[in-house]
Amino acid sequence: MLDFMEHVQTAFYQASHWDVDNSYGTLNATARALLDFQTPRGLRLQISSLAAPNFATSYTLGSVGVVDGSVSYLYSSLPLTREFRTSNLDLHHVIRGYRHVQELRRPDEDWWWEIWHGGKRIDRRDTLLYGRIFLPQSTLEALYLRRLSPTRQLKVTAVSDSSLKNGGTILALLQGDFGKYSTEYMYSTDSGLLGFRGLYNFGPDPRVAPTVSVHDVGERAHGRFSAGAELYYGVLNKSGGISTGLRFTTLPNHAGFPYTMTLTLNPLMGNLSSTYSVKAGSNLALCSRLDFNFYSYESDLQFGCELWRRRNHGDVEWAIKKLRPDWKRPSAARDDDVSGILKARVDNKWRIGVLWEGRIKELLFTVGASLDLKKREQIFRAVGIELQYSS
Amino acid sequence: MAFNFNWSPLIADTSRARDMLTTALNKSPKPPIIVDDIIVTELNLGSTPPELEILEIGDLAEDRFRGIFKMSYTGDAFLTLKTKVQANPLNTYLSTKPSFASPEPLAAAAGLTIPLQITLSDIRLSGFVILVFSKQKGLTLVFRNDPLESLKVSSTFDSIPFVRDYLQKEIEGQLRVLFMEDLPAIIHRLSLRLWSPEFQELEERLDAPHDTTTPVDALATNPPDAVDAFGNPIDDQTSNATLTLDTASEIHASFSKKNILRLAALSESQRTLSLFTPGIFEAVFRAWAAHPEPTSGAVTPALTLSSLARMQSGFASIKSQASSVASGSTGQDSHSSRPTLASANSVSAGLSLGAGRFRTHPIRKRKKRVVDLRKQKDGTEDSDASTTTTTPTVSTAPSENANVIMEEPLATPKASTDTLWSQEQSEKISEPAAPTGLLPAAPLSEPTRAPLLEKRSSSSRPPLSHARIRSTQQASSPLFRSLSFDKINQMSSSAKGTISPPCDASIASSSGGILEQAWMLKMAQEIARKVQEEKSRGFHPGTGGLWATSSSEDELDAPPAYHA
Repeated sequence: MLDFMEHVQTAFYQASHWDVDNSYGTLNATARALLDFQTPRGLRLQISSLAAPNFATSYTLGSVGVVDGSVSYLYSSLPLTREFRTSNLDLHHVIRGYRHVQELRRPDEDWWWEIWHGGKRIDRRDTLLYGRIFLPQSTLEALYLRRLSPTRQLKVTAVSDSSLKNGGTILALLQGDFGKYSTEYMYSTDSGLLGFRGLYNFGPDPRVAPTVSVHDVGERAHGRFSAGAELYYGVLNKSGGISTGLRFTTLPNHAGFPYTMTLTLNPLMGNLSSTYSVKAGSNLALCSRLDFNFYSYESDLQFGCELWRRRNHGDVEWAIKKLRPDWKRPSAARDDDVSGILKARVDNKWRIGVLWEGRIKELLFTVGASLDLKKREQIFRAVGIELQYSS
Repeated sequence: MAFNFNWSPLIADTSRARDMLTTALNKSPKPPIIVDDIIVTELNLGSTPPELEILEIGDLAEDRFRGIFKMSYTGDAFLTLKTKVQANPLNTYLSTKPSFASPEPLAAAAGLTIPLQITLSDIRLSGFVILVFSKQKGLTLVFRNDPLESLKVSSTFDSIPFVRDYLQKEIEGQLRVLFMEDLPAIIHRLSLRLWSPEFQELEERLDAPHDTTTPVDALATNPPDAVDAFGNPIDDQTSNATLTLDTASEIHASFSKKNILRLAALSESQRTLSLFTPGIFEAVFRAWAAHPEPTSGAVTPALTLSSLARMQSGFASIKSQASSVASGSTGQDSHSSRPTLASANSVSAGLSLGAGRFRTHPIRKRKKRVVDLRKQKDGTEDSDASTTTTTPTVSTAPSENANVIMEEPLATPKASTDTLWSQEQSEKISEPAAPTGLLPAAPLSEPTRAPLLEKRSSSSRPPLSHARIRSTQQASSPLFRSLSFDKINQMSSSAKGTISPPCDASIASSSGGILEQAWMLKMAQEIARKVQEEKSRGFHPGTGGLWATSSSEDELDAPPAYHA
């Protein structure tokens, strides 16, 4: 489950029309959400508030043996109108599961953003500032996010921690989303890492597509094929990394059940990874991943699933069935009937992760455990519970 | 100054050292590039011992030692490690960084683990070693400078020059850190572990299976050219084969008589309370100021730390060499020839090491010898080593007898703790010639009794801490026992002298100046009186009073756990 501040940041992306999915970094976001989810450790409480549409605060108290906590503040120049109160928020916003890749959006024209007043441009670029301090450790996290133009975004993240080399690290990321393709350039102060990521979407170019295919809806593609690559080079330690990847995913207009396939290859290290995710129903998503290294012949197989459990309405079930599709059903929008979301994963080494998330009254809860059946003496690797409340 | 030490026993069995090294390597957090346990598959200390040179001895007492050595090693030792490494530099780089500012690569950081075998050989060491031992604070061993001169690293990746150079550089760096920082810490921790009672039981248990095997006898072979304290070749007929040295190639120089004399005089000065101690300029002995504890042999455990293997091996002063010659040669002496002496030898021998070693040779009698160089005036200055069997000198005999006085109270309380012990005790009583050197062996042969003894020793009076020390010795690898015990004998005997009547015996035998003699006589009488008191207080054989006395002494003296 996303924590409050991550939720606010996704809201900022949405409000500023930034497509997070159109990036090589999120190529296999679905598989990661279903297989690599974090299980909580210990007890964690979070109290948050979006005090004003532009300002959010969050306090976290955790206990894993020792009590620690964090205080975070966020400022957004763009008013955020999404519902953030735990009693009302949409669970789909905070629970990462199967990701429906949307149709590519045509980038805004530059002049759309111009606001003139009295002969002067008064429009401002959307900016998000975020800081978080972890208290006993005195670790500081900072984020600066700025939409430079309709197709560009600058993201600077920094961590200050005395235990790190040079006392901290800064990562600058310049992202460009041009619809048909996207690019990312990055620089990290740590060992002078330079990076480049690119993603290319096959198929019609959204910048010209509307005029071509507007009259022929039947021929519109039901899926999209994307290819990308990434390249890293550490200037100071003279080391690098490279990977390429492919993805095929169905689009919302696909008639059957949605599915996503990805294949990533690291030619330097000989690592081949393929994932297949399918949304088998409105409440169920399944995912599998096979890793294979053709240098060391090591392989790894993982399965994961996400299941939304909904309460039965009992005696009014028949009445709901008779509701006409176009009638408004307020309960469905608020996920009131969701009793919980189960996520589980298992791999071929019998390591199991289980997560149960949901909402009780005004609280969001996450209960999780990770198990290792191979280690008999210590089966439970981590057990934890997280509670969130925001107003 | 010269000294000799045995390297051969160290080569014999390295499995225990290998295990310890494996655990030590895996205990500390490993660098992220290593993704599996480090397993030491082979450890060979080679046939060439390191060269050690005593530069300075700053402090020398029964429970303290401080000295500086110069060490150089150009041997053929090698070490083979096996582990798995992460070959992707991006993976290791990212694993140490906070995720918040991570570039989060999609697949570029995918891992590739490669099994790796590293062999370290051609190790060249040279440096100054500072060794500080204190019974309370354990053992500290510090390298004053970076001892690693060169090292050859061969690995699975030798064919790739880049990786080879990288590994060479990394491992050299790691080893430097190991020598300078980790090794002193490990040794210190181990020494503390050996002295702290709660760890001893553990060690004991670990050692139990080992003890069933024949201990490696450091002194199994005869030296090709053994010499006594005066440089005279030892007759193989009289001096028995317990003396050491493996191959003919390992020739140890005969030590100079002058140095022997000097050191002997030095230790004598503590033992005799003589006012006319040899003039050692600019030297202050802490032992003068502080009253040494009656428990002797405290130094032993330090020397027997198995972890110290190589360092330790070199650590033997000239004194110990001298005594080793003496004690070694006397080890096979038949006690029947002079029964009065038999019981005498017990204490000091038992304290030191005899334990592990003589367990398997119960027939051998163990006697402790002091090379009393002061007897020169008496004309009986023959070294004990060569003469004991035939002509026991007057000087050594009384001193040993004196020791017995001390020892008896120590031994008897133990007897009450369990029947086994008392059995042995009775055995000893019935056979006056029975060497007390056998006493320490008892815990070994009866592993179940060891915890009992320890428990007792922790709660009872200090003298019982002998038992603790002995068990400590047993816990340490048998390899190293042999190295230290002789020295301990020496130390313990000198320590005993300070409080026990043997002083007067030795005084009587040694004809010092008139002043000295008078003073010594007075002191000796007083001390003898004290000892007698102690003895009458603590020694009630065959009665339940033992418990009472020992418990009453509990109140008087802090348990040895606090002493140590």
